[in-house]
Amino acid sequence: MSNKKTIFFSAFRYLLPSDYENWLERMAVDGWLIDRFRQWSSIVMTFRRADPGKYRFVYDPQVSPREEYIDTYKQFGWEYLGRMASAHMWRMKYEGERPEAFSDQDSIIKRNKRTIAAVSVSFTIFLVTVLVMGALLLVYNNSLSAPDRTQIIIAEGLFGVIMLALGTVMLFLRKNETH
Amino acid sequence: MSIEKARKRYLPMSETMFYILFSLKQERHGYAIMQRVKELTKGRITLGAGTVYSSLGKLENDGLIQAAREEERRKIYIITPLGSQILHEESKRITELYSNVKESL
Repeated sequence: MSNKKTIFFSAFRYLLPSDYENWLERMAVDGWLIDRFRQWSSIVMTFRRADPGKYRFVYDPQVSPREEYIDTYKQFGWEYLGRMASAHMWRMKYEGERPEAFSDQDSIIKRNKRTIAAVSVSFTIFLVTVLVMGALLLVYNNSLSAPDRTQIIIAEGLFGVIMLALGTVMLFLRKNETH
Repeated sequence: MSIEKARKRYLPMSETMFYILFSLKQERHGYAIMQRVKELTKGRITLGAGTVYSSLGKLENDGLIQAAREEERRKIYIITPLGSQILHEESKRITELYSNVKESL
């Protein structure tokens, strides 16, 4: 039996931070543990076989945390697993009461709003790209060769699909920001 | 931040903010704040690391608390005169609330 399990596009399967945390927790209960998060962990991540255990994971988007950020969490007993884009990932092994990093509804909503803000940045970049490419197509339509025009249209379509997907994710997160 | 702005932003105050501010009448770091609040509420409220971190950031930015010193890489905070004023006003509000309803409880 393999001691490693690779999962692709995990962050796209579990869009809500709380769903993502719960999924990581279920994996740990099933004996699959992740020890490190990296920039591209949302695309591909590898779990290792471990003794099944109860771990609480925390997904905390912080673009520019203050100097004391890491130490504050560590004082509370959290183990730092690394950063996945702007999201910092934490875990804590527990027995009995499940530990919470966000202990009131205000903090949960703020954490979810920071997640929405992070998605909004990507959405805006794709939106601007789509608009600029569309404008260029209109302005230079006659001077473009057929293969160039086709390439730009394909790229425009691709960026448009990604932009729409990000827009849908944003709406979903907004609808569920109290979770 | 002016007192008017602070009133607008913090009154009424969430229970979490109230207890964090109240526990900073004495110098404390993040973890010690959690312990103090747990003790004050007899275990009813256990503040999380993320909640404490973001609340301290907000209170410090708005001038209700300030960093007193650093000890073993831990930042220690204390309430400011502006924070004390807001805490006092919030306490008065809660007292009024309680005295208005206590007879019918």
